[in-house]
Amino acid sequence: MGRVVGIDLGTTFSLIAYLDAQTGSPKCIPGPYGSTLCPSVVSVDRDGKVIVGEPARAKLLTQPERTIYSVKRLMGRGVADVQDELKIFPFRIDPGSDNVIRVRLGDKSFTAPEISAYILRELKSWAEAYFNEPVDRAVITVPAYFNDAQRQATKDAGRLAGLEVLRLVNEPTAAALAYGLHKQKRGHVAVYDFGGGTFDISLLKLISTNEGDIYQVLATNGDTHLGGDDIDNALLDLARREIREKFGVEFDHRGEAIQTLRKSLIRAKHELSSAQRTIVQYPLESKGMYVREITRAEFEELIRPIIARTMAPVKMALADAKLAPQEMDEVVLVGGSTRIPLVRKTVGDYFQRAPHCELDPDEVVALGAAVQADILETGVKTMLLLDVTPLSLGIETMGGVIAKIIPRNSTIPASAQELFTTGVENQTAIDVHVLQGERELAKDCRSLARFQLKTPPGPAGLARIEVKFLIDANGILQVAARDLRTSEQHTVEVQPSYGLSDTEIERMLEESIEYAEQDFAERQVIEARTEAETILAATDKALADPRSREISAAERKAVADSEAHLRAALAGGDYKLMRTRIDEINAATAHLAEVLMNGALQTAFEGKRLDDV
Amino acid sequence: MSVIRSQDAQTEGIPVTSCWNCRAAVTGAHFCAACGKVQPLPAGASYFAFFGLPQKLTIEPASLEGQFHMLSWKLHPDNFVRASEFERNLSLERSSQLNDAYRTLRDPIARVEYLLEHLGVRKEGTTRQQAPPELLEEVFELNESLDELRDARAAGGDVAALQGRLEAAQQNFQEGLDDVDTELAALGREWDAAVDFGGDESKKQALLARMNETLNRRAYIRNLVAGVAKELGS
Repeated sequence: MGRVVGIDLGTTFSLIAYLDAQTGSPKCIPGPYGSTLCPSVVSVDRDGKVIVGEPARAKLLTQPERTIYSVKRLMGRGVADVQDELKIFPFRIDPGSDNVIRVRLGDKSFTAPEISAYILRELKSWAEAYFNEPVDRAVITVPAYFNDAQRQATKDAGRLAGLEVLRLVNEPTAAALAYGLHKQKRGHVAVYDFGGGTFDISLLKLISTNEGDIYQVLATNGDTHLGGDDIDNALLDLARREIREKFGVEFDHRGEAIQTLRKSLIRAKHELSSAQRTIVQYPLESKGMYVREITRAEFEELIRPIIARTMAPVKMALADAKLAPQEMDEVVLVGGSTRIPLVRKTVGDYFQRAPHCELDPDEVVALGAAVQADILETGVKTMLLLDVTPLSLGIETMGGVIAKIIPRNSTIPASAQELFTTGVENQTAIDVHVLQGERELAKDCRSLARFQLKTPPGPAGLARIEVKFLIDANGILQVAARDLRTSEQHTVEVQPSYGLSDTEIERMLEESIEYAEQDFAERQVIEARTEAETILAATDKALADPRSREISAAERKAVADSEAHLRAALAGGDYKLMRTRIDEINAATAHLAEVLMNGALQTAFEGKRLDDV
Repeated sequence: MSVIRSQDAQTEGIPVTSCWNCRAAVTGAHFCAACGKVQPLPAGASYFAFFGLPQKLTIEPASLEGQFHMLSWKLHPDNFVRASEFERNLSLERSSQLNDAYRTLRDPIARVEYLLEHLGVRKEGTTRQQAPPELLEEVFELNESLDELRDARAAGGDVAALQGRLEAAQQNFQEGLDDVDTELAALGREWDAAVDFGGDESKKQALLARMNETLNRRAYIRNLVAGVAKELGS
């Protein structure tokens, strides 16, 4: 078995961390560019090769039609859910998409879990290079307010990336864990997690017991579509409007130009966290230059409504936990957007205490995930996370009304039993519709799944089927049914309303293995070809050397024949055949090499042999 | 104050079974005393039994919470990641039952509802809202005021006076709710005494019926308060 890691699969950046056995503390692993942050950007080049991270981010400017960012916004969602997003984000959705979104990148299309799997695979390769060992199991973090479908999509992404997902952990809870380790504090902690695309608030109670520390989440709330992206878009709206008014230039929201503008606005946003003013310059080719000074005060006015949107979930979480803002002993800030001074001030004022931001808000979630991964892997429990389900679970009843069976903020695992029976004579199937959400009517809640309970025909009300709904420690629903009259387990085929079925995942996994084999074969071909070309050049040179006449004509012919064979093999794509022919030519030229001991040829061959070692 | 017994306290009425692993006798305990393996939930075990508690309505919150944390530490699926699928499922079953039981028992109202359901006095999920006779007049007035407020709003008239009247009524009903809760708590203490001193069955049944009636009344008043709050808030 390989190593275990903790992964923060973020909207803007993703990170991978592990628990250092020597120091006992978690650590983020840097990638090939030296940074621990992997931009959550995926690009597919013209040859169909997938590029992830920093190089993909560069493609955002040069090949936006083959590149995607913020794919987390599409996880576990259907086309109808993302209509607002489509107006702002340059996603190219396949026309056939419905409840599983397919995004077009160049001439291929991908589901959100597949794209996320590429990011996970990239991070996995960072860790494998770092450890020089395979990595096959992980704890992956998700926003606390993610629903069942979004969680399932994240788990699917892990599976597609060849990772066994030991647990999905809520991001603010992971942050609290990393923070708690760091501070050794007790009491009530609020974690305000404002990231690139999601906002979460979690209220925890940290308890010391004889056995170890317990991190009990009392309440959580949030918005899975509220983050730094929205601030960028507000700046972008402003700039686009001004450019339209002053220069008459209109941007295609999927074009290359807007990505360049976006990039300079994001830089301005970052600068305004420390500076009082900044200048954005954007060349408009023949039309001149858009130059705009933005002051901190103007920026704060612009983003005030976005920050205000975070406070409604904060108040709801406090009400659910039956706590007042001033009852929180500590407030922890997580996520890149909490670097904005107005965010810090708003949170500090509300809770009447200075928030903590001494841990790197980008790394803290991955660090917590690494700690949890180590606990699950080693079985040595030093602490326990007790998390909650963010949304109420309900079933549809008569008239489209929801009956809530597991209330929001219930500690997970949580369960509920319901008894189903037939309403009319000779009814043979009972339809069950499971939903998640706080509203009263089914149409206003999130459909999770539908299934049918089959029963033999009989009088109405005779059937007695007990269904157990269970939300596991990942926050994912499991359903089991039992016929109370026969005591037999009832098979339930749950059709998820959103996301991929098991069969689809299996198919994708097979494809990815095929692709992996194909990728491997391609690399072998390239390597064999390079080696063959070096040898052929050296052999040609050797045969042209006057001293080569010292070997027999038969030998010269054998060498020439082996050259011809190798050239023929190169024309095909079979790397195994190329390898055989390379071995043959090496054997055929062995004597020739000896003869030319002091010549350039010898150097060439020995050089080659050294490379082989 | 009730004293919580050890987490593996055996509870009356739970049949003796044998451990799935070592065949030793177990009586509803979370773990086998002989081999330490987690055990399946016995059929029909109550939330009270899960915590090793008698079926009484006075529960000391801090003690229940401490017990919840201790059992969480032992039963949570984190402990079973590397165990067999069978044991993983047992942990999932036990830990979800633990969380469901704690959620129910820590809330005094949910606790009474659960006891009544468990003893078959009340059907799960069916709350019959009963209009309390002594409140009928006030309820009638309230509904009238609510109608007037809606009409005044629709006509764009002055709503300030009506709102004041409703707020007073809301205050009044909130006090009524507090009274019902006090009444329920008193009934709870009577029930506990009957359990402790082996009160006769007919007396117990009468107490259960009164608690059920009080819960129905409570649900009715609570809905009124919520309805008024919604109307005032909109």
